[in-house]
Amino acid sequence: MKANDLMIPLHEYLKPDDTLREAVKLLRIAKRGEEAVGVKGLPVLDEKEKLIGMLSMGDILKSVYPSYMSLMNLGDFTWDGMAEEFAKKAAEKKVKDVMTRKVITVRDNASLMECIDHMLKNNVKRVPVLNKENRVVGMLYERDIFNFITKEMLDEAEGSR
Amino acid sequence: MIHESTAVLQPFVADTSFWVATAIFVIAYGVIISEKLHKTVIAVFAASLMLVLKILEQHEAFHIEELGVDWNVIFLLISMMIIINLMKPTGIFEYIAIKSAKWGKGEPFRIMVVFSIVTAVLSALLDNITTVLLIVPVTIFIADALEVDPIPYLISCALASNIGGTATLIGDPPNIMIASKAHLNFMDFIYNLTPVVVVLMIVYILVIKLIWGKKLKTKEELKKRIMQMDEREAIKDPVMLKKSLVVLAVVFAGFVFHGALNFQPATIALFGAGLLLLLSKNHDLRYILAEIEWPTIFFFIGLFIIVGGVVKVGMIKWMSVQVINLTQGNLFATSMVVMWFSAFASAIIDNIPYVATMTPLIINMAEQMWPNLSGAQLLHHPDLMPLWWSLALGACLGGNGTAIGASANVIIVGISEKAGNRITFLKFMAYGMPVMIITVIVATLYVWLRYYVLGI
Repeated sequence: MKANDLMIPLHEYLKPDDTLREAVKLLRIAKRGEEAVGVKGLPVLDEKEKLIGMLSMGDILKSVYPSYMSLMNLGDFTWDGMAEEFAKKAAEKKVKDVMTRKVITVRDNASLMECIDHMLKNNVKRVPVLNKENRVVGMLYERDIFNFITKEMLDEAEGSR
Repeated sequence: MIHESTAVLQPFVADTSFWVATAIFVIAYGVIISEKLHKTVIAVFAASLMLVLKILEQHEAFHIEELGVDWNVIFLLISMMIIINLMKPTGIFEYIAIKSAKWGKGEPFRIMVVFSIVTAVLSALLDNITTVLLIVPVTIFIADALEVDPIPYLISCALASNIGGTATLIGDPPNIMIASKAHLNFMDFIYNLTPVVVVLMIVYILVIKLIWGKKLKTKEELKKRIMQMDEREAIKDPVMLKKSLVVLAVVFAGFVFHGALNFQPATIALFGAGLLLLLSKNHDLRYILAEIEWPTIFFFIGLFIIVGGVVKVGMIKWMSVQVINLTQGNLFATSMVVMWFSAFASAIIDNIPYVATMTPLIINMAEQMWPNLSGAQLLHHPDLMPLWWSLALGACLGGNGTAIGASANVIIVGISEKAGNRITFLKFMAYGMPVMIITVIVATLYVWLRYYVLGI
């Protein structure tokens, strides 16, 4: 089993100049496989369709979290409605200012264990899959690997792919 | 080779090492001002050049106080940082900040005044960098709660920290360096600088009242956000807090008496750091030590070696001769030149490299004026003392002039930008430069009146 056997082919991606409002709209309706169930992260590609970042749930939470709060313990003193205020302000931010720039990727012919290795070492739940020309051809989700290896454990993997 | 007593009379002969050391010094300071590279990287690299090119022997750079690293400064800074890092998780600083905002009763300008005073006092007792790192996050938080522009609060916080830091030996890096090189103790600073800083703070508050007194407004319901905060929730570890406060009390008592007890300030601070490390439990030592501002520490180390190089080749002595020629040995004039030149120089370059250069320069001047004296008799010559205080006042207060004048300003502008509030160079200067000029005028009057008119 290799990365391209388990990945979901790339349907949607984000552009660096999209606003977060546009981005979250897409995240909420993006397809995973055949269903439009929404995803927790999407790759960001520039105009030449080159991968330049990832935008995931964590990045969106960080975009509403004021940077100064990470410097001191101020959580006890926050007020009701604070997160909502910051979310409204963050909606206008650009994807490129919020996304994670250092993206963990795997090659399409990477073994499943290599994919697991990358995910665990870098604590990411989804990785873009690149082909030989460094183009994003799909997304590999932790969930799909989980489904596959649990089937393996239950000895049901045979014939499923 | 130049001999001490003949330096003023004989024409100066510059050899190759003079030019090499001077070139390293000038280029390094130039790149530091240009901000093309991180200042610590430049300082460490230029320092290594001083050694590799044999301007300084490694032994001189590491072990000779006049030519190399001033470990008194380094260990004072490191030790105070360790104490603060151990205290931070107790929540005491959040407590102080929230309590201050409540003293301000949620009134935007009142809060600005209370924050300025608290920042000034903390800056006097801790170093400025630490203070602003503790105050700035809460300042932006409070401004967000009141839905007012945080930038006036941040600028006033930077300015207050530089004024407050001037008050004590440990308050501002220039003072730490001056104290170490001139062998001045904590109480010398309290007697000579604290009184004028109190006056300066009063003047400063009048200035900010003029600038922002009427401009800052908020809604009544937002004030409730502040008043509903319970500062007691901030205290996460009351046991450790008590230990920290005891150790801090010991450290400050130690500072007060270090001159009388014949200890260097670094010894007192190191004892405090060691004691608090011993008393604190369950801490992650690697984290506590990693949190020391290593870039700042290495900036100091690099600068000491760079300056050591130009001291050794006689460039600093040459400069001191020029200063003496300029003021014709008139010490009042020298003192005024030192104060005002320091103020503008510190506004343009970081006041740390500036003071690192000026302290040996003043000692060289003194050696030429009183060639028969040495040690404390020379460094504490009654006619020389106002020069040290002028240097301290000029360099510390000058830090307010621009956004890059003091480390505190640089940090505040950085944190503010990250939080989405950009403070431009000109915006900072529009407030900083007038405050610098007003405070230096007050300081000038003080030095003139106290040391040259009243002579006390």
